[in-house]
Amino acid sequence: MICDRMREQIPECLAGRLDATTREKLIDHLDTCSACRAEMAELGVVWRGFESMSEPEPSPAVRTRFLETLNAYQEGYHEAQRRQAYAVPQKSWWTGLWARPAWQAAFSAALLLAGGMAGRYVVGERAARNPEMAQLQAQVENLRQLVTLSLLQEQSPSSRLRGVTYSYQVTEADPQVEQELLHTVNHDSNVNVRLSAVEAIASKFAKNPQVRRALVDSIPVQDSALVQMALIDLLAQLNDKEAIPALRKLVQEKDTDEEVRQRAASALQKLETTK
Amino acid sequence: MGDEQIMQEVRAGNVGKLELLFDRHHRPLFRYFLHLTGNRALSEDLVQEVFFRILKYRHTYQADTTFRAWLYQIGRNACLDQVGKRKGEVAMPEDAVDFSSSDTLPDRQFQNKQETALLHRALAAMPREKREVLVMSRFLDLKYDEIAAILKCEVGTVKVRVYRALRELGDRFFALGGERAS
Repeated sequence: MICDRMREQIPECLAGRLDATTREKLIDHLDTCSACRAEMAELGVVWRGFESMSEPEPSPAVRTRFLETLNAYQEGYHEAQRRQAYAVPQKSWWTGLWARPAWQAAFSAALLLAGGMAGRYVVGERAARNPEMAQLQAQVENLRQLVTLSLLQEQSPSSRLRGVTYSYQVTEADPQVEQELLHTVNHDSNVNVRLSAVEAIASKFAKNPQVRRALVDSIPVQDSALVQMALIDLLAQLNDKEAIPALRKLVQEKDTDEEVRQRAASALQKLETTK
Repeated sequence: MGDEQIMQEVRAGNVGKLELLFDRHHRPLFRYFLHLTGNRALSEDLVQEVFFRILKYRHTYQADTTFRAWLYQIGRNACLDQVGKRKGEVAMPEDAVDFSSSDTLPDRQFQNKQETALLHRALAAMPREKREVLVMSRFLDLKYDEIAAILKCEVGTVKVRVYRALRELGDRFFALGGERAS
């Protein structure tokens, strides 16, 4: 038993990381135990055997790629931080995006990253290009998600608002962005940020039934009538029949804000009369 | 400036400082992946992935964790994700090409080189979990409390695991040496 405990100290002793007291105890034990002495000698051969092993170096391209990613991220992030907060697009948001500095910044960042990545992959075999391009696109998409998520977690409401606006750049319905936007709708302290998040969800994530359920569940927890009405309008627009019980409850409850009640009643009528 | 202080600045938005941490840690991180995967290109990609995740999750860094422990936690997860995705594609080579010195050695050093190659072969043949804990302790010079934080276990457990892994490595190494002699 004591031998087991002593032997467990051997690797740390060989690494020179044992404290003085423990080391002395081990040495005292080794003086009196030939089996543990033999163990120490044998494991010492193994431990020191690695000393002449060379240390492989990564290629310099690894650092170059990292710096390109970091620069692209900083560029996109700081541009988005600098610009004025934009109103969330309503009808022709896609057209508007092309004229916006945030999109331009993101696009520049994506191009910069793409350029860096392409440098690495362009020498590859022709047959291997498609998977590499897919990887490249995934990296660019990741960068957009990264900027969005970073902005959504900022302290200031204006930064978070930019994060919501920036989420339009994410072409795929990324689950992490989706969850972050839902979290924003439910928990952000700023009403404008919450309203923008509802719009952003409507543009990209509303097809997901789980998201629609989350929006329905969000109505009673909102302390702002504006956000409640935005959610009601969205659910009516989506013709989401599953929202009917929640809307009915909202209409019947005494504490419901009068404007919200009217909006809920109107949405209810629409949902119950349309197929 | 310490790693933790730099990471606090990165977390606060000064992301340019991440370059300092990259310069300090990307080489050992690369070797960690190389020991685990045996694949240079994949190991380089994983280094990129880890620093990308650091950017992405910088808000989650807690000052009570050493930066190294956090870095290798992320690295470990990234590696598990990748190797899981490429199941069957990544084989751990049992040769020691990447880790052997490429210098031409005098005859008297030839035996040492051969032994190092055998040792690496023995290490490469070990189960992943045991190889990983040895790499952390022997090559990354991580303290037991850091390894415990990475593996999410007790320090006492790490102590036992490292000893048993080293013992098994010794058994494999001496067995290979015996095979070679015969």
